[in-house]
Amino acid sequence: MSGLATVVRRLPQTNWTAARAMLRSEARLLARNPAVVIWTAILPVAASIILGAIPGVRAPSHALGGLSFFQVYQPILVFFAITLLALQALPDVLTRYREMGVLKRLRTTPVSPAVLLCAQLVLIFAVAVGCMLLMVIVPALVGASWPRNPGGFLVTYLLGAWAMLGLGMLVASLFHNAKVAAGFGSFLFFVLQFFAGLWWQRPEMPSWLRHVSDVTPSGAAVQGLVDTSLGHWPSTLHLVVLVVWGIVTSRLAVRFFSWE
Amino acid sequence: MPVIEVADLRKVYGERTVVDGVSFSVEQGEIFGVLGPNGAGKTTMVECIGGLRRRDGGSIRVAGMDPADEGVAFRSALGIQLQESRLPDKMSVEEALNLYASFYPEPHDPNVLLERLGLVEQRRTYFAKLSGGQKQRLSVALALIGNPRVAILDELTTGLDPVARREVWDLLEDLRGTGVTLLLVSHFMEEAERLCDRVIVIDHGRIIAADTPEGLAANVAADQRMSFSPSTSFDLGILEALPDVHGVTAAGERVTVTGTDNVASAVIIALHERGISVGRLRVDQPSLDDAFVALTREDVGARTEGTVAR
Repeated sequence: MSGLATVVRRLPQTNWTAARAMLRSEARLLARNPAVVIWTAILPVAASIILGAIPGVRAPSHALGGLSFFQVYQPILVFFAITLLALQALPDVLTRYREMGVLKRLRTTPVSPAVLLCAQLVLIFAVAVGCMLLMVIVPALVGASWPRNPGGFLVTYLLGAWAMLGLGMLVASLFHNAKVAAGFGSFLFFVLQFFAGLWWQRPEMPSWLRHVSDVTPSGAAVQGLVDTSLGHWPSTLHLVVLVVWGIVTSRLAVRFFSWE
Repeated sequence: MPVIEVADLRKVYGERTVVDGVSFSVEQGEIFGVLGPNGAGKTTMVECIGGLRRRDGGSIRVAGMDPADEGVAFRSALGIQLQESRLPDKMSVEEALNLYASFYPEPHDPNVLLERLGLVEQRRTYFAKLSGGQKQRLSVALALIGNPRVAILDELTTGLDPVARREVWDLLEDLRGTGVTLLLVSHFMEEAERLCDRVIVIDHGRIIAADTPEGLAANVAADQRMSFSPSTSFDLGILEALPDVHGVTAAGERVTVTGTDNVASAVIIALHERGISVGRLRVDQPSLDDAFVALTREDVGARTEGTVAR
């Protein structure tokens, strides 16, 4: 039974007092269970700061097509954080809330459980943006370069975040068992990191593999972030890929989500 | 005017009819029991009434509204305590009540409710650290926080130890007379006997009996049962000869006699005449438990015969 579509239609009647109370409550719960956020945030943030602080890593490398190691890896790490949060933290908390009957209990009140989903999305997104800012600002302060096209960088990041959060919601919709959802989330995470170039950098991929990577949300987002850090605009292809992933995953998530 | 009116309610899952033409009505302020064995369709029925499931036939009005519309007014008029619904582990009692209070237009004061439910000392305790009884009381509090006209409480005391169960019953007794109508789903007859003004018994999705708890128990043609330890051994035939006695059995020094309403006095007098005294006497009235067993058994019997006849 998908009530989410009905909810989207009734959005204008939202009780904002309740929505604020819910957001505060979820933020408090997140602060009391900081492990998830710390684990997902610490590794990429620390790695990008360390990489940014080592001068040799900032030097252009021939093997990477004239880019520095930092320039290739910073976008991968920025996207690593949002992917981890969207595909692991988000489905984990939502499927657990469903298993515990939290969503069903909310259905019995005048406030829709969709308000709780939105509160979670907002929180996860806020944590991801916080990580992204740390990963951009701190390395720049210790000597690495700023993104040369900050506007384009931000747009690419937001579209990439949309696609990832949509995918995370879809995982939470399709899998009702928290453990299965977590397992599938991890699997997706590694696949997406592969296409993002975590182990095999995109400039070094054979061209057919790079073409595949171009149409994955992680490949498109990371390339868009690389392009914009160098001062270019992201290619239309990559933006379109991200928008399509965002629309398709969000629509499917709304279609298949159930409260119990 | 009734606050809940259900007429010919039907709910079908695939080939299976889970609720099969149920009709009843509940007055404002009543504590109304829905009894039945596990899998009888009780939860499905109240979830239709609570607007959590779509019905396949019949009509439902709760406080004059149709649950199928799921409007904000409906949700504010009705509080539901669901079976097996937990809260996040690290949410405190007070936080949960304040959060849920913010959902309603005219909520109860969380502090008053905390006091009434005896949870003042636990106000800062996390949900995961509460005892079973405290969790259930919090659950009742959440069903009542919106100041509803009707509260549905589903299997409230299942899984609780006897002490915790009585805590919850005391709380519900305190609610009597506050004007809130309670729809209590249970398979504990003792619970219904103690709390409910009226009950219906459901089996296989149909109402098989509707009465007060006392009325149900009285209507069952169950024997009275007495047991005792006689001062000396005697011939059981003395008792079997009495017209009020239907059966006599002895196990060790304990004698058990079943019979009519007068069986206890008839047996005691007959033994007294022979100089035998009756020790550790115990007499059991037919209870709602017996009525329930008799009713659901009859229902199964009727069904099997029906099948054979076809």
